Amino acid sequence: MSANRWFATGNFYTTYRQEQRIFTTHLDRVLFGLFLFFLFVWPLFVSASNKHMLVINNILIAVVAVYGLNLVTGFAGLISIGHAAFVGIGAYTLAGTARAIGDSHVLITHAWPLMILISGFMGAAFGAFVGLPAMRLKHLYLAIATLSFQMIFSWTINFMTFFNQGQMIAVGRVFWISGQVGRNEHYLFWYYVILVTAVVCGLGVRNLLRTRYGRCLVAVRDNDRAADAMGMHPGLTKVYAFALAGFFAGIAGALHTYMFRGAGFESFTLHHSIIYLAMAIVGGLGTLPGSLFGPVAIQILELQMEHISEWAGTFLPATMNLATALRPLGFGLVIVLFLMFEPRGIANWWRICRSYFKLWPFRY
Amino acid sequence: MNFIYFLTEAQSAIPDAMNTLTISDVTLTFGGLNALTGVDMQIQPGLITSVIGPNGAGKTSLLNCISGFYHPTQGEIRYGSERLTRASPHQITKKGIARAFQNLELFRGLTVLDNLMLARHRHLTYGFFSALVYWGRAARLEAENRAFVEDVIDFMELEAYRKRAVGSLSYGIQKRVEVARALTLGPELLLLDEPMAGMNIEEKEDMVRFILDIQKEREITVALVEHDLGVVMDISDQVYVLDFGELIGAGSPREVAANRKVIDAYIGED
Repeated sequence: MSANRWFATGNFYTTYRQEQRIFTTHLDRVLFGLFLFFLFVWPLFVSASNKHMLVINNILIAVVAVYGLNLVTGFAGLISIGHAAFVGIGAYTLAGTARAIGDSHVLITHAWPLMILISGFMGAAFGAFVGLPAMRLKHLYLAIATLSFQMIFSWTINFMTFFNQGQMIAVGRVFWISGQVGRNEHYLFWYYVILVTAVVCGLGVRNLLRTRYGRCLVAVRDNDRAADAMGMHPGLTKVYAFALAGFFAGIAGALHTYMFRGAGFESFTLHHSIIYLAMAIVGGLGTLPGSLFGPVAIQILELQMEHISEWAGTFLPATMNLATALRPLGFGLVIVLFLMFEPRGIANWWRICRSYFKLWPFRY
Repeated sequence: MNFIYFLTEAQSAIPDAMNTLTISDVTLTFGGLNALTGVDMQIQPGLITSVIGPNGAGKTSLLNCISGFYHPTQGEIRYGSERLTRASPHQITKKGIARAFQNLELFRGLTVLDNLMLARHRHLTYGFFSALVYWGRAARLEAENRAFVEDVIDFMELEAYRKRAVGSLSYGIQKRVEVARALTLGPELLLLDEPMAGMNIEEKEDMVRFILDIQKEREITVALVEHDLGVVMDISDQVYVLDFGELIGAGSPREVAANRKVIDAYIGED
């Protein structure tokens, strides 16, 4: 590579490895490093209330879940309307274990990283199983198959006494090197855990996407006949995509359970599946940055809609019930507007920004 | 276009290890319709074998049978000593038979580079966890195969389009990417389904040059399904003529051109 590695302008590569880097310039790397650094240190300077920390943690959990959904729906092109159920599988793997061996068992309070990982693999196993119809079904029919899994999941949780019939199953407080994580530092502790998970998973996905394990997903999306001719089994590739999605969903589910100190079925309903899908669409299907933008945008939107509908309730006649309708209405409107005017999502704005600065200081 | 002097050179340099594709008595039936009826054919290593015939003669069906998209109702397809009759496309690809499609079946959303890297799928033999951290084997093999892809890009003269999304390229270039992708699979036998359809004279001449180079420089056996008789007669070593799913003529271009049945069915009288 030429002398100046700070800007992309006028640079050229001399080996293929240089070109395969994630960050092609020092500037990219430094900016990303600063961004990460900021994410890690801001809680030291600003003390956010529990309410705010809850929202932030929720966003980060959704980021992990949307990595998975973006892989299966964005990259592999398989619509999944059962993603909340996969998240639920992860959550209930943990909650079920807590119910079976006691919510303060050492496995749950001390070996929590292991539990999170196990939940991930459980999600992957269920993902692969639910993905089996993808070997035969396509498009809407496949979407219905995933929808049926969502329904089966909700019903199973709701009617099995082992799962407390959908009522909250408590999970004990975890231990860190410094001892038990208490009430005051609970949200901060989980902020860091979730942040590290999100960053590690994100880098993992980024790496997968530049290897055969990521490219094969895009291949079956664009043309599964040709994918077959390229020497990959298109059916198994789709099952693998679902397993991957289930893995990230499972991890997100376990994090969710630990953060809320329990799991109840109302966090994993069809409504949440649609929200995950909305996050993926608004963020940008088939883009990794989209998995970050989507959850942030949708969570903020949801909060704002809550405020607006509260405020609208003060002057709208109560009989019309407009205030309550405003929230799903505004939510749906945003999705439709995005699908109509920016189907590539917020990630596309990001891409445009980047491509402008790529040539900086030249115009073209 | 007279490429005879090319052919004599190429024929002398046939490697011994390559396999012959033998199609024996293949019949393909859709409902009551026979797409192919008792077709016998041999694709000899190192040669350019062409299949011609009028529209609907079963040329593409035959190619689909070889590449595993259809399975013949009767008969057998062998590659060397291996049976391909029931194999799936991805299994056939692994045996070293690559296919370029007639109606472009490219990954339209991806760049030319990614399309070609996808063709290296079976050569990228690193594990999942190596890919996850992109370290060691994964990074090394990616770079090595990238070099191979670059070689094909150079060969097919696609340098200018490397980073362009395939969907945005012109038809002629897309056809060339299609052939390049099949070539990137690293095949012994390359099946080309009408690589010159819908091209202008200049693009056709380019494509003919590529096909001859593929055979001569890269020592790959070529099976060509083509409509353009002039091209076929000029470059083929062996020609098979199909009509309504039946083989009506076979032999060298000269023999086929003199065949009465072929003239009646396809070429027409002067």
